[in-house]
Amino acid sequence: MNNKNNIYELTLIYFILTVFAAISLYPVLRVLTISLRPGNNLLTESLAIIPKDASFDNYVKLFQAKPFLLWLRNSFLVTAMVTILGVVLASTAGYAFSRYEFPGRKAGLMSLLVTQMFPATMLLLPLYIMIAKLHLVNSMLGLVVMYSATALPFCIWMMKGYYDTIPFSLEESALVDGAGRFRSFSTIILPLAAPALVITALFSFMSAWNEYIVAAQVMLDDKLFTLPVGLKSLQGNMSTEWGMYAAGSLLVSIPVVILFLLLSKWLVSGLTLGSVKG
Amino acid sequence: MKKNFLIIILIFLLPVILLGSDPLQISLWHQMEPSKEPLLKELIAEFEAANPDIEVNALHKGTEELRTGFQTVAAFTNTAPELVYGPSDNLGAFEVMKLSDSNEESIIAPLEDILSPEFLDKFMDQAKFLYKDHIYMLADRLGNHLSLCCNMELFREVGLERPPETLAELIEYGEKLTRDLDGDGTIDQWGLVWNYNEPFWYVPFFGGYGGEVFDENNVPQLDSQAAIDAFQLIVDMRNKYKIIPEECDYNIADNKFKQGRAAMLVNGDWSWNDYIKSDKVDFQLATLPIIEKTGMYCKPMISATGYSISSRTKGEKLDAAVKLLKYLTSESAQKRFAVQHKSFPSLKTLQTDPLFTEDKVLQVSARQIEVGVPMPVIPEMRAAWDAMRPALQNVVAGALTPAEGAAYQQKLALEKINSMYEDAGLVVTTGEKVMKAVLYILGIALGIYLCYVFIFKFLKVLLRNSNSVITRNNRFAVVMVMPAAVLLFGVVLYPFIYNIVISFSNMSMTNIHSWRVIGIGQYLKVLSEAIFYSTLWKTLVWTTVNVFFHVVLGVFLAVILNRKLWGKAIFRVILILPWAIPQYIVALTWRGMFMQDSGAINLLLSKFGVDAINWLSDPTLAFIACIITNVWLGVPFMMMIALGGLQSIPHELYEAARIDGAGRWEQFKRITIPMLKPVMIPAITLGIVWTFNNLNVVWLISNGGEPADSTHILVTYVYRAAFNLYRYGYAAAFSMIIFIILAIFSITFMNRSKVAEKA
Repeated sequence: MNNKNNIYELTLIYFILTVFAAISLYPVLRVLTISLRPGNNLLTESLAIIPKDASFDNYVKLFQAKPFLLWLRNSFLVTAMVTILGVVLASTAGYAFSRYEFPGRKAGLMSLLVTQMFPATMLLLPLYIMIAKLHLVNSMLGLVVMYSATALPFCIWMMKGYYDTIPFSLEESALVDGAGRFRSFSTIILPLAAPALVITALFSFMSAWNEYIVAAQVMLDDKLFTLPVGLKSLQGNMSTEWGMYAAGSLLVSIPVVILFLLLSKWLVSGLTLGSVKG
Repeated sequence: MKKNFLIIILIFLLPVILLGSDPLQISLWHQMEPSKEPLLKELIAEFEAANPDIEVNALHKGTEELRTGFQTVAAFTNTAPELVYGPSDNLGAFEVMKLSDSNEESIIAPLEDILSPEFLDKFMDQAKFLYKDHIYMLADRLGNHLSLCCNMELFREVGLERPPETLAELIEYGEKLTRDLDGDGTIDQWGLVWNYNEPFWYVPFFGGYGGEVFDENNVPQLDSQAAIDAFQLIVDMRNKYKIIPEECDYNIADNKFKQGRAAMLVNGDWSWNDYIKSDKVDFQLATLPIIEKTGMYCKPMISATGYSISSRTKGEKLDAAVKLLKYLTSESAQKRFAVQHKSFPSLKTLQTDPLFTEDKVLQVSARQIEVGVPMPVIPEMRAAWDAMRPALQNVVAGALTPAEGAAYQQKLALEKINSMYEDAGLVVTTGEKVMKAVLYILGIALGIYLCYVFIFKFLKVLLRNSNSVITRNNRFAVVMVMPAAVLLFGVVLYPFIYNIVISFSNMSMTNIHSWRVIGIGQYLKVLSEAIFYSTLWKTLVWTTVNVFFHVVLGVFLAVILNRKLWGKAIFRVILILPWAIPQYIVALTWRGMFMQDSGAINLLLSKFGVDAINWLSDPTLAFIACIITNVWLGVPFMMMIALGGLQSIPHELYEAARIDGAGRWEQFKRITIPMLKPVMIPAITLGIVWTFNNLNVVWLISNGGEPADSTHILVTYVYRAAFNLYRYGYAAAFSMIIFIILAIFSITFMNRSKVAEKA
């Protein structure tokens, strides 16, 4: 970190950040506008953020007329399981790929990447069939399994890449001191990999939280709907309940933002600094 | 003692026995508009109360999903819903799917075998959908048809008392009602608005000029004089009489009318209720006008929405399903729908009910239905829509003259229909049988090999007897990797192998179960079309441009943020928002921002003196719009990864470099970039892969490829061209080719960056 900022530099930095923040924020504010507008309108010709006849009607309707809280609960359950599973499996598998040359390592890394390359069109038809035949229909476990499988490849690659930046000398000293392989992993390396763990957790969370296609196939009982499926049901063939949809979308983003706020402390951990000389 | 014990047990068991078995569960998949769903739920609740031994599970599905979902689930598995409620145009698609290779029964059951003739007699003829001599659907409402919606308040302002009745009047009134109210040179109120980008809104005029989509032999007739006249009319409305805005889609039209900024609107019965409720509109419905040239009314397509029963439903479940069907189509149910939602009932007795005859809107609706034409139910209709759409959009944009447009849509329709049936009726030769056997053997061999690599090799490592450090290391590593590997392997393998096998087959609409392996024919088909190469090029451009900006902007922002800064946390959160919001609504919001008249982007540009840009109607600009949106969506992700990566770079390196006299840029090049690499390269590689295959953004911004199917990357093209027409074999081969291209692209990229080795 370079602390010698002069006034010009600071001003420039704040200016750039403000411009980018405005660009990031504006479309989100427009979604807010749609949600505050009564009468179900997607488009408007004014640039006003708060519409003239703003009201929280759509938010109220979302909770009263639709089982929003139920969707929320279902989403939380599934997503929590996926996040935990994702972090556990990715941190261990990534570590193995980073530190050890075992048979199947290269092939494993390659195939992780390869699974990401399947276009959705390749998977649509067999997905229907597979889910039905495996009796995964209406099972939360089924969703957890599929979501974890989708999120894992990236998380493993992420963790491996991060572990690669941590010098092996740290574990070496621990092993010399008599700690087992797993202990040196869990007590020394894992804390240092905190930023990558955060990204893994966030990513697994997002994959499960916003996923729609598989959930729509698996959950055939509307008491088991997750948030994305619930929101999609607000969309009609021709007419969509835009107001409620926008309100729902904003509410759905709040947990993600909160999670990010909570975890960003670890995103900036600088524990590696100064722990290794040379 | 023992006897008492037994009695106690029986007493406990009694309630269980008395309560009987679990209630019978039946499922209904429906497509009801969200506004109508509460009424459906009410009716179902009443039904369940009256029939405590039946539990109904009603599931809402979007149009496309209902059709493809029901088809797949009913044709391939046993979990199909008992009842399905959807529009009549689904019937052709459903009928063609058979239950299995040996069973010629289709997935929906003929209702004349299940319902008594007396019951069926209660319904109007148009409600009993006859297709290939069977009644496959019983409608509870007729319609889904377009009519002319008028805002009489705006009419009265210019001295008009009634809606137009002829085409000449429509144009005349339209001109009177298109006004610049505040004298600033821009039109504030349009005479007529409608979704003239969708062929559904084109066919009423086409029919009014005497055109027919199909003749008696189901051959398309899209190049008739009527087609040309209808195109010409639309073009004139826009350019000559100027009564319709230059850019108008469904949402724009709906919006303007609701807000009182358009006097007339062409829209369907599902939307009327919204307008009746709006206090800015004095709603009156009128039939679409008479066209003087032919003396005929405009002929919107009439379809119906109703209930079909899946043929897998038998026994008790069938009885329950029939009970539910009868309840939902009963007189009281239809009356409630008519009152609350202006749906047109299908029971004969209701046609003369005062509730109905005294409702002005429903009466006009009835007249419109009388002069409309029924929507063809045959599967070829999809091909017709897919052909008319690009032709219409090209004619409106001025790229084709009406005559050229008509010829174009006829040509396209014939091509697409041919492609739907191309794989039909193939005779299985011995050569093909051999090839099928060979492919299956190869597939099994591949499966065994993969199992060997992943499982046996791992097991070998785990079970090896030696205790050397290397073995123990390997064992540890394998144990750490196994759970993830098993999970991934299990989920991904089946779809992959399935897709490979199908890509060598002729699986399509006519061969859902009876497909045969035909060799590399599908691959040859994909590679021989020019559109493949142009779309491939577009996809490469799309990917490179997107990833470039993602990485550059992401790293840039991360570097800026990586210092002591007041308000850093706030900025971080705001910058992460694009990633946090669900993609769908954001993409649609961006689409709205790109609209020519009312979009935020043009409004902003006009403040800088730049003319309004026609983003969504020009292929190149539409593509750029997609790129802009995707860059906005993707930067936060790269920024986050870079922020994480920057944390692992020790301060001392920078200090040392500064002492040595290195400038900021030198430090960045020599320290930051190399140390970020191990973390960024996986992210970039995956970024390339995801962007290449990103279906959502391009689809949503361009609304499925508009203008005229020209805004496509490879995946969206497959979705549109292949899945829409059930060409599963073709789609599978296409997907494999996409996969192989992507694999080569990314693996080359990775090898160049040498990341497989440790940093």
